[in-house]
Amino acid sequence: MGQDAFEITINVLKMLVIFLGIVQAVPLLVWLERRGSAFIQNRLGPNRVGPLGLLQLLADAVKFLTKENFVPEKGEWFFYYGAPVMALIPASLAFASIPLSIPIAIEPFEMFGRTFGPYTFIMQGYDLGIGIVFVLGISSLGAYALLMAGWGSGSKYSLLGALRASAQVISYELALSLSLVGILMVYGTFYFTDIVQAQAGPLTFNFLGKSVVIPWLPNWGIFFQPLGALIFFSATFAETNRLPFDLPEAEGELVAGYHTEYGGFKFNLFFIGEYGHMLVASALMATFFFGGYHFPGLTPEGVSAFWSGVVSGANANNILTSLTFLLVLLAKIAFFLWVFIWVRWTLPRFRYDHLMDLGWKTMLPWALFNTVLTAVVMFISHQ
Amino acid sequence: MSALLAILTFALIVTAIGAGLVWLSSIAGPKVRKTSAKVMPYECGLPGQEAKDTKISIKFYLTAILFIIFDIEIIFMYPWAVTYFDFMKEGLGGYILGAMGVFILLFVVGLIWEVKSKALDWN
Amino acid sequence: MLTVNDFLFYLLAAVTFLSGAGVILARNPIHCAFMLVVSMIGIAGIFVTLDAYFIAAVQMIVYAGAVMVLFVMVLMLFDLKHELKAFSKGAISGVLKLLSTGVLLGMLLAYIGYTFSVDPSFKPVPADPQHAMETTKEISSLLFTRYVFGFEVIGVLLLVIAIGAVTLSRISGGTHADS
Repeated sequence: MGQDAFEITINVLKMLVIFLGIVQAVPLLVWLERRGSAFIQNRLGPNRVGPLGLLQLLADAVKFLTKENFVPEKGEWFFYYGAPVMALIPASLAFASIPLSIPIAIEPFEMFGRTFGPYTFIMQGYDLGIGIVFVLGISSLGAYALLMAGWGSGSKYSLLGALRASAQVISYELALSLSLVGILMVYGTFYFTDIVQAQAGPLTFNFLGKSVVIPWLPNWGIFFQPLGALIFFSATFAETNRLPFDLPEAEGELVAGYHTEYGGFKFNLFFIGEYGHMLVASALMATFFFGGYHFPGLTPEGVSAFWSGVVSGANANNILTSLTFLLVLLAKIAFFLWVFIWVRWTLPRFRYDHLMDLGWKTMLPWALFNTVLTAVVMFISHQ
Repeated sequence: MSALLAILTFALIVTAIGAGLVWLSSIAGPKVRKTSAKVMPYECGLPGQEAKDTKISIKFYLTAILFIIFDIEIIFMYPWAVTYFDFMKEGLGGYILGAMGVFILLFVVGLIWEVKSKALDWN
Repeated sequence: MLTVNDFLFYLLAAVTFLSGAGVILARNPIHCAFMLVVSMIGIAGIFVTLDAYFIAAVQMIVYAGAVMVLFVMVLMLFDLKHELKAFSKGAISGVLKLLSTGVLLGMLLAYIGYTFSVDPSFKPVPADPQHAMETTKEISSLLFTRYVFGFEVIGVLLLVIAIGAVTLSRISGGTHADS
């Protein structure tokens, strides 16, 4: 975490910023959802509070905070209060392991009369060699938040809703994990930074022993694994309980499922968890299949040269270069979040048995087919 | 190792902020006045109907067991996937494809049997 | 002075041990299950301190994420308020309990004492991300060459478990679960 106090402080602050970024992204996402869904449904959505209705969410947050805090009689205190907190943990831990930009190299500089040595700050919470397997492991803990909520509410309907939700989540975890095997074969590593680095530059692949370069297409994973990307993206809809897979939360079905007995800010925390999972899913889509923080035409040297014409000093240059690439990744993440919202208001909800059938009988075989196909194609093309 | 310390620190930060928010919401609202309507489990507004135990489907258990089985099989595919290219460079591509092919065949047989036996048909 | 590695190990070992004790001593079975989840996560952390990154992740995915979810789901399905009397009473069972605990404790302490006399030859390698991939690739190269027969047998075993679980659930007259 760092050699001296300055580095440790900056790293801890970085983690705080990442977590608070996820929490602050939620009001923006909910605003986008309410306005976007409104326009899709040919109405206006919130536009009174603040410019374009942007302060609506602040008002809602304050309202949530000041609601009465009732505890259901038959519920268990620890599980009831622990479930909303548990809902935050998998999404945040997973998001912090994804590289958001190129590392910032800080040259030695003077401050308060002391020299602070050369540092390298990575633009992620922690740098893991086993990136994607860690994300899968942490995401599989998301089922516990649902189960704790259902059990802690002490109501039969909440429990049933929680069991159905967790059955759905674990079924689609299979398709999720299997759809990634193809892309792992292509890149040969679990490490996110290596996967992103391998997607820089133009499209390059091996065809019957010759190396083919297509200069006008980027070297993104989507061109190597289109079916895998489709299955992965669909499976993340089910993992995050988003429509069309949101039966566990559906109004009119089991009341509101596992969070029936929650009110006020605890209810909000579940939604921060759900949107956090959406953020992780979008970031993973961008990292695996759409080049991560790379953009065709932008190289670190080129961007650095551009910024050195604007600001002086190597440190400012490095920071601005890194921020440019961060913006690229955030734009891609924003695109996928918009697709999440768009699909929600377009497709009707699946019935539960259709949902489970889709997960086990359609996605799992197709993901398996994708794996075998990738293996065979790689084998043939490398003879 | 530093990554593990970072993970634990981050988990601590998230838990602390989450718990803090929950605590804040529990003191920032009006005092709870426990009426019987509030603390009873919510059942579409009708007074308590869950007097007896209802039977719950065994499908949950089967889903979880089959999830474990297939999850373990997928876990075995992970190290295979990352070293597939290395094996091919050594010239062992056909061998490694065959070894995993047998495993995938067993996976597929299991999946087909599970589908045909209607073990996971939710109605 | 404690290195970071030692501190992390002691912390994770304490968490694992305390949650393991919680599994045995808790009254409510659901509490036991959740304490077991915590101990599984602790074990995954200890694997990381031992440089076994892939195994740690597999521990999280399979044990903490699949097996324990099964446990918790099944425990929540059955209303076990009536069956909380887990401990037997009586003189003979008391003597047996003390005896078995003593034997296990003795074995544990003997092994711990033995490790103090062994020269510590395990020096943790500085964990850079490439190292994690190296260990995973070593596992893979061993698994698919030397132990490939065991690997295929595991496939057969998993198939047998799947068939067995579904068949067992079909037997009529089971517990109070309906199909």
